[in-house]
Amino acid sequence: MVKTIVSMIIVAIILTGGALYESNFIKRQFVEFDSLLEVLYEKVENETAIEEDVLSVQKNWLEKKKYLHVFIPHTEIKEVDLWLSESVTLVQNKKWEDALSKVEVLRELAEQIPKTFTLKIENVL
Amino acid sequence: MIVIFLRTLIIFITLVVILRLMGKRQIGEMQPFEFVVTLIIADLACIPMADVSIPLIYGVVSILALFLLHQLLSIFEQFGPTAKKILSGKPSIVIDKNGVNLTELRKNNLGIDDLIESMRASGYFSLDDLDYAIFESNGKLSPLENGEKNKEKSSLPLLVVDSFKAVKENLKILNCTLDELSSYLNKNGGKLSKTEVLTIDGNGRVYLKEKEQKYRILSFPLKEGVKW
Repeated sequence: MVKTIVSMIIVAIILTGGALYESNFIKRQFVEFDSLLEVLYEKVENETAIEEDVLSVQKNWLEKKKYLHVFIPHTEIKEVDLWLSESVTLVQNKKWEDALSKVEVLRELAEQIPKTFTLKIENVL
Repeated sequence: MIVIFLRTLIIFITLVVILRLMGKRQIGEMQPFEFVVTLIIADLACIPMADVSIPLIYGVVSILALFLLHQLLSIFEQFGPTAKKILSGKPSIVIDKNGVNLTELRKNNLGIDDLIESMRASGYFSLDDLDYAIFESNGKLSPLENGEKNKEKSSLPLLVVDSFKAVKENLKILNCTLDELSSYLNKNGGKLSKTEVLTIDGNGRVYLKEKEQKYRILSFPLKEGVKW
């Protein structure tokens, strides 16, 4: 009985701790990523963005995704990868309108992905 | 993680409730919630292993959640007989001194044929071989042999009436019509509409259990050349 209760408490602590860490970690990563995208969005909108701007966002994302793979389905990470790669090419070629729409999609993803990990009825059902 | 936990919790509870409602037919030697754990855990372990797009932690969290639920239910079961009854059900006495208890069988979604099958698996081929038969909450049959068990066995007893209905295929084997069966029952003070179980073996030995009455052993005049 004691062994059962102890093992239950340990597992409950692991699960609760893990859930809190996951929720916090994902939120933090995407808030940070979104703030970088916001800056990039403004630069693209003003047509002042340079290749380094978008490459720095991509580099930052590559760092983040190493750890995000633990919690997020890999297909969603791949989606961000693809949109980001397209943005790099469009900014390099100074196709501002197209680049703007890609960055907009990336911002939407940065907003939506963490939402799928929050405790909401639509996520549970 | 909390989402995966809650999803696992919902699936687990649904499966336990469904299995409890299904009666003892679906379980074999395990309590319902143990069966549910076994049912889910194999898949939970396989999906993240086979699908590389799913983080491994999804499988780990679900398995830990199941472990937690299993332990919780194990403790809950020890609270007393009521808790155990709610969670695992209670044993059902399906054969007693009066014979087969059809009501108890039906409560567990079992039929006479299921009972006979379980008895055969335990080495008993005739319904009157047992004084008591209990379907345990884990789906296993516990038989208590009749002290005056009939040793003379030449063939398997045929189920001729199952829950107030004649089994036509077995009547054919007996080379007996429905009218003949009805008149045999009338002669012995019975009625087809009141007969819960009637079996006949190769020696013409009849096991007759009528509604709300103790079972009777009768003799049936088998026709010439009837064998099975």
